[in-house]
Amino acid sequence: MERHGAQRHRVLALLKEAGGVSVASVQRIARETGVPEADVWGAGRFYELLSHPDVERRVCQGLTCQLFGAATLEGTKVSCLGQCDRAPVVLGRDLGVVHYGMPRGGVSPADPDLPMDLGGPDTADYAGLARARELGVAGVLDALAAAGLQGRGGAGFPAHLKWRSVSEQAVTERYVVCNADEGEPGTFKDREIMLRRPHRMLEGLAIAAETIGAAAIFIYIRGEFPEEKASLQRALAEADAHLGHLDWRFVDGHGAYICGEETALIESIEGRRGMPRLKPPYPTVQGLWGKPTLMNNVETLACIPDILVRGGERFAALGRTEPGTKLYCVSGHVGRPGVYELPLGVCLDEVVDAAGGYVGTPRAFSPGGASSGFLPMSARRVPLDFKGLPAHGSMLGSAGVVVLDDTVDMAQAALWQAVFFEDESCGQCAPCRLGTQLVRQSIGRYLGTGDPAHFAHLDEIAWEMDQGSICGLGMVAALPLQMARRHFPQDFGPRPPGATMTGGGPA
Amino acid sequence: MSDTFPLVIDGQTVQARQGETVLQAADRAGIQIPTFCNDPRLTPSGACRMCLVEVQGQRRLQPSCAWKAEPGQVVTTASERIEKHRAVLLSMYLADHSQDEAGQAADIATGNKLRAYTVDRDDLLPLAPVHSPRVGRADDNPYIAFDPDRCILCARCTRYCDEVEGVSAIQLVERGGHTTIGTAGMVGLLATSCELCGGCIATCPTGALFEKKADPAPDPDETIVRSTCNFCGVGCQVDLRVRDGRIAAVEAPPPGTTVNDGNLCVKGRFAYDFVHHDERLRSPLIRQADGSFRQATWPEALERVASGLKKIRDRDGGDALGFISSSRCTGEENYLMQKLARAAFGTNNCHQCAAT
Ligand SMILES: Cc1cc2nc3c(=O)[nH]c(=O)nc-3n(C[C@H](O)[C@H](O)[C@H](O)COP(=O)(O)O)c2cc1C
Ligand code: SF4
Repeated sequence: MERHGAQRHRVLALLKEAGGVSVASVQRIARETGVPEADVWGAGRFYELLSHPDVERRVCQGLTCQLFGAATLEGTKVSCLGQCDRAPVVLGRDLGVVHYGMPRGGVSPADPDLPMDLGGPDTADYAGLARARELGVAGVLDALAAAGLQGRGGAGFPAHLKWRSVSEQAVTERYVVCNADEGEPGTFKDREIMLRRPHRMLEGLAIAAETIGAAAIFIYIRGEFPEEKASLQRALAEADAHLGHLDWRFVDGHGAYICGEETALIESIEGRRGMPRLKPPYPTVQGLWGKPTLMNNVETLACIPDILVRGGERFAALGRTEPGTKLYCVSGHVGRPGVYELPLGVCLDEVVDAAGGYVGTPRAFSPGGASSGFLPMSARRVPLDFKGLPAHGSMLGSAGVVVLDDTVDMAQAALWQAVFFEDESCGQCAPCRLGTQLVRQSIGRYLGTGDPAHFAHLDEIAWEMDQGSICGLGMVAALPLQMARRHFPQDFGPRPPGATMTGGGPA
Repeated sequence: MSDTFPLVIDGQTVQARQGETVLQAADRAGIQIPTFCNDPRLTPSGACRMCLVEVQGQRRLQPSCAWKAEPGQVVTTASERIEKHRAVLLSMYLADHSQDEAGQAADIATGNKLRAYTVDRDDLLPLAPVHSPRVGRADDNPYIAFDPDRCILCARCTRYCDEVEGVSAIQLVERGGHTTIGTAGMVGLLATSCELCGGCIATCPTGALFEKKADPAPDPDETIVRSTCNFCGVGCQVDLRVRDGRIAAVEAPPPGTTVNDGNLCVKGRFAYDFVHHDERLRSPLIRQADGSFRQATWPEALERVASGLKKIRDRDGGDALGFISSSRCTGEENYLMQKLARAAFGTNNCHQCAAT
């Protein structure tokens, strides 16, 4: 139990400052904050960057980096680093990129008609904020509703409903949180927004804070994004005239994908292990320190200024099957990996067209990060949107599109995704903690022996992970394997021990 | 009855009290929902997933330990979906648990709920062992041991140590499959804030935490004798686990049944060796002229004390005497002691060893 008045929220930042978890740092921080030593230790040891601070080379094990030979690189294996357009990538001690396979990827050509327009100049006139003040709370909520903006963090939840819910809570101490913990393998769009459009995101946050009457704004930013954080801080200083009246707080992530999940993120801001909470209650009702909390993804927030300046209807009309434009992150076997702003609901062929076309013969793709599993090329003309993809057993998620050509062994690809989920499970609930291990072990044993009997009970385990897990990580962690087995059965039949398949046949 | 309301559980109308969870309401109605991580003394965590039920209107299964009962709610605790969920979940737990030769979850004297829930099921999946990479800790404390291979990470021990004892000596550490029960620096409990109350052992549902000096193997001939702890005046109830006429271990009765609510302190739970100790005094001793002791009877010893005290009072007055009672006495005994001092010997020189 912590001392009365304990400063638990400082624990993780202090551990980072102290160079990570050690007996001495934990004892000192426990004394300084009034948080029990075991809690400080347990919290710190949850996070990769705090428990392993002194790593010279962190080699990304994300799907795209694996496709481009990450396994041959020396260093400590870590989960996807959000640099898939430069695969394979290695981070140095200071978390800067020290090795990459290709230069940083492309973005859509400049086009002032695009809401995000990553290729154009970053305007910092804060016209959206001015417009929001003219419109008032009701007007802003109406504009968001007209825009039909769906949350870009993965779930696609309508933004106006979330904003409205928070603004209607009886409790008036409220918070706004920006989810900048981007960690879904194959995803690097928030990174580009923070580097190229920091003012858009900050403006969206300011509008959110004024609309719901927030006491403070928290930006929870992925620990492996020091450059992105600096970009935001620079922009915040530049726009002081527009933003200075608000209470801005940067909170570092420390290397835990699960902290992208909203309630785990809240636990992490509070200085705890990033273990998701039970929902309900939702953060809109009881979030940070139990107060109503509005959390949105970087991209969601960056859409807001354009919606207010040029109108919700205009934004909505830019979409194909669903409202607005969407940033699609494209990597893998394509000509020009990068982040492309396209009408929401375009299909794979169009997305890849924007990204320089297919390289080689495409065989499979992952439409929205590891959590979306794999689809076969027969789905190349399916609209990549929030509402349609679930019918194909998948989801748009973070729109991290990874294209796999016909040299890829889908069992191997499923193993890479399984390793990710196993490494990133928070471990609090058994369906996920044990399920992710069982999934990874079954693929590993299959690849080692060539015997498909190792998948004997995977259907039941996958079912239980979906049914019994607390949060979205466990619910989808078996999807890559299950969808690969469904769509690419040739890669999961009997094979010689240790053999690799390519294009559905022996290598 | 105005503060109760009806809800329907498994087709049966059940009266729930305000603020009650579905698990509590079901329990009072005699509907058993299996659970590992629930302890009535702790804030529900919903993490073990054993108590998931169907709540009408909810797409996902919900943890009944944390789900508040609401008027008119319709809950199902037994269905094909729930049975499948329990069977697969239990199979997964079992695949990550130390097993006996028969492939069953280890049989522990203090009980192993995983064994209880799995022994009679014939729908479990024969999964390959998981061998989660979680670790234990070297720990030279005399009482409390931890076997990570029996731990299901329900976190009752860590929550108990925090929420009930306010000690927070142990915590979940690491993450994912590496998650285990640890201390700061992974040191032994003696080097932490631990008070060795042993409450973690008592709340552990699978015997992963166990008492070092007690035999962990079950004994069908064991009997339970309810007694009162005599280390202090609180009156904690204890259940003595007796084997062959000797105390094999001491436990607290279940939470909610006695004054101590399932809790004990280090003395009540672990300091029972004196009972059968060779050097334990079993009859009074009287010092003889040459300084040696001889065995005596109680009437003889009491008579000797009374006459000695009276002799001093008659010679030097009551204030020449002082009376000190023990903190192991009850309030009633302490009362009698001061009564003896004041009324029988006319002195206020009385004290109690815990009163300083
Ligand atoms: C395992 C997991 C990881 C997530 N990671 C992220 C993330 O990195 N960034 C993000 O914005 N949302 C992430 N989310 C979604 C958030 O929980 C939340 O829905 C989102 O931040 C809400 O913002 P939005 O409504 O603007 O999308 C994740 C969800 C889960 C279950
Ligand atoms: S599903 Fe996985 S990540 Fe989510 S709470 Fe459970 S163990 Fe943690």
